[in-house]
Amino acid sequence: MLKYLKKYWFFALLAPLFMIGEASMDLLQPRLMSRIVDDGVLGLNHGGAGDLNLVLTTGVRMIGFVALGGFFGVMCGVFANLCSQNFGNDMRKDTFRKIMSLSFQQTDQFSTGSLITRVTNDITQIQNLVAQIIRGFIRNIMLMGGGIVCMMSLDLSFGAVVACAFPLLLVCVVFFISRVNPFFSLLQKKLDRVNSVMQENVTGSRVVKAYVREEYEKKRFGDANQELVDTQLRILTIFSYMTPIMNIVLNLSVVAVIRIGAFRVQEGAVTPGNVMAAITYLSQILNGVMMFAMIFQNISRGMASYRRIREVLDCEPAIADGAGVADKAGAGDETGIADKPDAGDLIGTVDGTDIAGKIGSVDKVGIVDEGRISSEGKKKGGRIEFRNVSFAYPNGSGETVLENINLTIEPGETLAILGATGSGKSSLVNLIPRFYDATEGEVLVDGRNVKDYRLKELRDKIAVALQKSELFGTTIRENLLWGKGDASQEELEQAARDAQAEEFIRSKPEGFETVVAEKGMSLSGGQKQRLSISRALLKKAEILIFDDSTSALDLKTEADLYDALRTHYKGVTKIIIAQRIASVKGADRIAVIDNGTIAACAPHAQLMETSEIYQDIYKSQLKAEKELDMEVLGEAPVGEPEVKAQAEESVREPEIKVQAEAQAPDMRNGEGGGDHE
Amino acid sequence: MSEERNGGVNQEQNASQASLQNQQPRPAMRMPGMRGPRGVQVVEKPKDVRKTMQRLVKYFQYEKGMVFGLLLVVVILVVCSVYAPKLQSEAIDRITEGKFGALPGVLILMLVVYGITALCTLIQSLLSAHLSQRIVKRLREELFERIVNLPIKYLDTHPHGDIMSRMTNDVENVSLTVSQSLSSIVSGVLTIAGTVFMMVYLCWQLAILSCITVVLTLVVTKFLSGKMRTFFRKRSALLGQLNGTVEEMVTGYKTVVAYSHQDQVVEDFEKTSNELTRVGIIAEILGGSMGPVMNVINNIGFVIIAAFGGYFALNGLISIGTISAFIVYAKQFGRPINEIAQLYGQIQTAVAGAERVFAIMEEPKEDKSGSHTMDGAKGVISFRHVNFSYVPGKQILYDFDLDVYAGHKVALVGATGSGKTTVVNLLMRFYDIDSGEIQIDGVNIKDIDCNDLRRNTAIVLQDTVLFSDTIRSNLKYSNLEASDEQMIAAAQMSNCHKMIRRLAEGYDTVLTESGQNLSQGQRQLLSIGRAFLADPKILILDEATSSVDTRTEKHIQDAMVKLMKDRTSLIIAHRLSTIQDADFIVVLDQGRIVETGNHEELIAKRGRYFELYRRQFEGNAI
Repeated sequence: MLKYLKKYWFFALLAPLFMIGEASMDLLQPRLMSRIVDDGVLGLNHGGAGDLNLVLTTGVRMIGFVALGGFFGVMCGVFANLCSQNFGNDMRKDTFRKIMSLSFQQTDQFSTGSLITRVTNDITQIQNLVAQIIRGFIRNIMLMGGGIVCMMSLDLSFGAVVACAFPLLLVCVVFFISRVNPFFSLLQKKLDRVNSVMQENVTGSRVVKAYVREEYEKKRFGDANQELVDTQLRILTIFSYMTPIMNIVLNLSVVAVIRIGAFRVQEGAVTPGNVMAAITYLSQILNGVMMFAMIFQNISRGMASYRRIREVLDCEPAIADGAGVADKAGAGDETGIADKPDAGDLIGTVDGTDIAGKIGSVDKVGIVDEGRISSEGKKKGGRIEFRNVSFAYPNGSGETVLENINLTIEPGETLAILGATGSGKSSLVNLIPRFYDATEGEVLVDGRNVKDYRLKELRDKIAVALQKSELFGTTIRENLLWGKGDASQEELEQAARDAQAEEFIRSKPEGFETVVAEKGMSLSGGQKQRLSISRALLKKAEILIFDDSTSALDLKTEADLYDALRTHYKGVTKIIIAQRIASVKGADRIAVIDNGTIAACAPHAQLMETSEIYQDIYKSQLKAEKELDMEVLGEAPVGEPEVKAQAEESVREPEIKVQAEAQAPDMRNGEGGGDHE
Repeated sequence: MSEERNGGVNQEQNASQASLQNQQPRPAMRMPGMRGPRGVQVVEKPKDVRKTMQRLVKYFQYEKGMVFGLLLVVVILVVCSVYAPKLQSEAIDRITEGKFGALPGVLILMLVVYGITALCTLIQSLLSAHLSQRIVKRLREELFERIVNLPIKYLDTHPHGDIMSRMTNDVENVSLTVSQSLSSIVSGVLTIAGTVFMMVYLCWQLAILSCITVVLTLVVTKFLSGKMRTFFRKRSALLGQLNGTVEEMVTGYKTVVAYSHQDQVVEDFEKTSNELTRVGIIAEILGGSMGPVMNVINNIGFVIIAAFGGYFALNGLISIGTISAFIVYAKQFGRPINEIAQLYGQIQTAVAGAERVFAIMEEPKEDKSGSHTMDGAKGVISFRHVNFSYVPGKQILYDFDLDVYAGHKVALVGATGSGKTTVVNLLMRFYDIDSGEIQIDGVNIKDIDCNDLRRNTAIVLQDTVLFSDTIRSNLKYSNLEASDEQMIAAAQMSNCHKMIRRLAEGYDTVLTESGQNLSQGQRQLLSIGRAFLADPKILILDEATSSVDTRTEKHIQDAMVKLMKDRTSLIIAHRLSTIQDADFIVVLDQGRIVETGNHEELIAKRGRYFELYRRQFEGNAI
């Protein structure tokens, strides 16, 4: 924390200084006030004759002091805020930057919800804590210390009262705070529970209604609510006892001061005015104790927040940049080896690099390097190789998701990946852009281990469209431009057209400027997927990965999309995860993943002959295809004998047919209204 | 204004009266669940204060006894707080006068008054805690009750975040204000009234002069808080924006990474963050200046009283004792005014919050009228010339006419946006149709008891909804009385039994919020199991297996054939393989039925269905 404060040490120093000024004025003020009352108005020292002049002069002085104190206070506020808010800002930015550098295994571990609260609530807590310490802590020490000194200076016997009351109050405070603290985290849990029941009912309202569970949910909510209220009441009850008990201690001390004061006045040691002043100081001191109690409680909460922030800040990204090309450029040999497949292309550009290196600064080498990569990428990049790759999720049960995968995908090839739910398809493609790192073996892109790339360089080569399309709350254009920041309108439209999104974008009154509402709620699932595909296409990367990203598209749209892919993205390496064999039948090769291994990898026709699993999947999807192929398309059937048997099974019983026909008349109206082709 | 500051200001202003401060230590009372920036208060003006207050007062009426008790205690406290300083000065007078013998009597009286004060403070805190919690509990329950019974249309057309924030932020605001301000206001008003009375009684001229302070306070407060409001408002807008960015980017982190957009995202974030800091500093400085300025004004007031009091005393208008009393009262007068001025903003915010809460409560409930039950129903569904639009002018279904026979499996196919899901929405009475009629066994569904209709119809949606509870409770959600055997049977049919068994806790595994610890496919399987367990007369699957691989889907379908033998099922799917063996296939296009028939017939027709089918199976994809 000091690291962050260091930068603002000047403010951190000035603020307390001004605070000392303010507190001094505050300590001075009661004296002046009592002088006005005692001498000016009551005229105690003049036998009851008031002195208006004294009232006015002292009054003006007092107002002057108070105004000065006020000025100090405002200045203290200025510097305390400059310090604490800039401090909070730095910490917030660092935390967010750190989160943006974490790998998925780490964000999974933290969970998104907790990361969000850390950046928002926790930072605010710490920021408030710093401001409070700078202002409140020092102010309290001043007022309390000053109070004790002043009181003792009045008469030492008053010190005895303070000496008794002070520890008593302290014990009280510590007792109550320690009693109440555990309930705060409990309260948070109960509150989360109420919110989560609420959330589920708002988002899952269709299911609640469909199963007529309104009453059940009401009870569930009622229980959560009751628990929350109970916890809250427990806290409030504890606090209810705290205030009166502390007040009693305070008031007993006042009585004691009066009593003792009476003896001392009798002895002639103090004046009645001293007793009055002592009471004022006493309340000031004991009030200070209560303020400290609050400050300490805030500190303990602030420290908890700080620990949570620290956890994030201390997290080293599990997946970090590799050495990258730039760093290796000096060692010419290594670069050569790494890029061997493209050696032919390299010759010219390497020369270019050298020239640039000679002319410009070292920085320029990097820029030229990047230029080389993109120019070479258009021609030949996009080769992917899995070598003995195994993978288990870092925070998972340790269960192996992928086992000993060996697979090479050539530039420009279209590879489809098929497999059951949870068989490891997504995990496999996640390894290419280093969303996760392989546990064993290595993944190579263009002959180089992905771990040796700089992350940006690697990920610039790859465009991914995810199953869950994540869009951001801005315009469609802004969303698409994520793919390529400087894309022209033509490029934008072309990408949207290829992704079959142009039509629906145009149908919106504001076209590309349509704002995607909160989490894309204004768009249908299929529309969101098409936008996310457009975004990926716009990136014009060497490798294109569709992670089941067409699941919400209807068949026609999906087929049109693949048509466009085939014609316009020929040179791009395409990896397509899909459920439907028909979608991927035309792929150069189809990899069938089963229980984390590649069960087969070959073109469709070959798989139909050799792979049992593939045949099985095929049967489950295309059992009637054969008849279609034969009867309608007149193409040679690709299906196997088993498939034929399956197709025959599916012949309907006559009675159903009759029923279906019987329904036809009812349909007439519907059909009549329809636009027939 | 931040409460820490309030505490600080009060502390210095009222140091001499601290012995009787009956305020609770506010910062410590603050609940950790409170969202929003601490210490920020954006005053938001409610639209119809009177109406909202009337409704709010109703909640107090439920707790008449408590409110009455609270008022009583507050009155006693005010009396004590007026009386105690007098005792204190009396005790000092005794000392001054040297009448030490009379001192113990006064001291004992003081102890008694302090004792009563402490006791009353305790009772007051307890009462207001219980009162506020009961009111908030009732408010929350009533709000939830209404939300659960809102028509789907409302939930579809209003942002969920907004509805949620009414339950969390707004109710919390009301709660905080009720618990904190009720007694403060009552005691403040009483104190002011008492003090004003005493002041006017003692010397009306001085009383009028004291008003200068009050006017000054009000003017300065208005000026400062006006300035503050703009900045606090700006600040909370920026904070909202910042939180929004964080939420969006953290939840969409995978996309951020995939497009290497971290740098831009961080840059944007920093821009907002810097601006927030700038505005925040100004806002806080303005807010922080309130205390010192008030301090100056109070002291000016004190000097005015002292000077004019002295002048009056010299002229023999008032006694010296009166001045002394006046000074005490003037102080006492200032405190509640400051307090109420500060509470005013908070109360406005709370009333605005209450208004938003009541706005939801005023929404009409879902129309569930209908008396027919579905006992013994066969499950024949007929749509008769149904027209429907979500938004007037944008018709979704045109003259939709369809008969589904009992025990039939009917499939709806068509492009996205052709109106398939709408049919489900109408059948479940999530939405009411514009014209036409939907019948089950010949009875208009509007005449069927809505709960009975839904109880007999199970649906599985594409966006799976699971609850943060055990798998067991999630499965049994559709049928609370189901036995474990029935549950396991349903799980086996939906192919999720094996998957559940593999989990360490089996059926007692608690799903994390919205079931995030399962894959999309696994979640779909669970929701299918849940629908199976409902043992419905009508089963609706809306893209229910889109994330399940086709082999597993095949198993589920086989199970469904058994389950749905004498029941009606309605299936919506993109994958034509899913619906090939349906008894009847309806092809929808832009809200109209364009083709019907079974698979063979439709293929033979070579129409729209054939086109879809050819595209799927021709293998021209890729």
